Amino acid sequence: MIKKIAFIIRSLPYKTEASRLAMTHAIASQTVEIYLEDGQNVEPIVALVGDGVMNGLKSQSAKCYGVSTLEQHTKNGLLLDLPIMYCKEDVERLGLTEDSLIMDADDLGGDMKARIVPMSEINAALATATHLQIF
Amino acid sequence: MKLAVFKSDFRTGGDMLDRLSAEKLGIIFVGNGIYHAAVKDAGAADPVLQKSANFYVLAEDLEVRGFNASQVPGNVKVVTYDDVVDLIFNEYEKLVWV
Repeated sequence: MIKKIAFIIRSLPYKTEASRLAMTHAIASQTVEIYLEDGQNVEPIVALVGDGVMNGLKSQSAKCYGVSTLEQHTKNGLLLDLPIMYCKEDVERLGLTEDSLIMDADDLGGDMKARIVPMSEINAALATATHLQIF
Repeated sequence: MKLAVFKSDFRTGGDMLDRLSAEKLGIIFVGNGIYHAAVKDAGAADPVLQKSANFYVLAEDLEVRGFNASQVPGNVKVVTYDDVVDLIFNEYEKLVWV
């Protein structure tokens, strides 16, 4: 049995740990299979919506905070083949473009690409999930 | 009164900020407050930037979030931590945080 878990990130990065927790939980769910029985699995999806799309901005530099960036977390997620979706309406509303967002982890050797999709497509993906988690 | 207001949230605190006035008002965007300066929501500059005030944004907090000084409107001065200390001690008498 596959449990599909949707991680919906609507929080801005850094002021709280919400979005970082979402990404780390989503990434961790890729390794949880060692605890599962045969035939069981967990399939995560990540949706960045509302202000949450800011988590995927390129050129983040958190040296002065002494923490890793949400840019790196996003890339790590893609490296581990997490499906990551940005809400198209929010990307456009906030004046962002595909060029300004992390869309792949090519530099780390990842194959998965993030996608900018309409909220309707995100809702369709959420409808297929067993559990929804909003951060 | 010379009042400096630290704004560290993006979506909250605007109602309080609207009510504040001072002979000299400074609004310092820090933390997630930097989005007021860096983002145009639906293509429009943030309404808070219409206020009669001196605007500052902390460079370190901009860079953490993937922005740089060139993305900030001309009426917002990009400042460092050291500059903020100077503002606190030399330019403003009172400080609040919203």
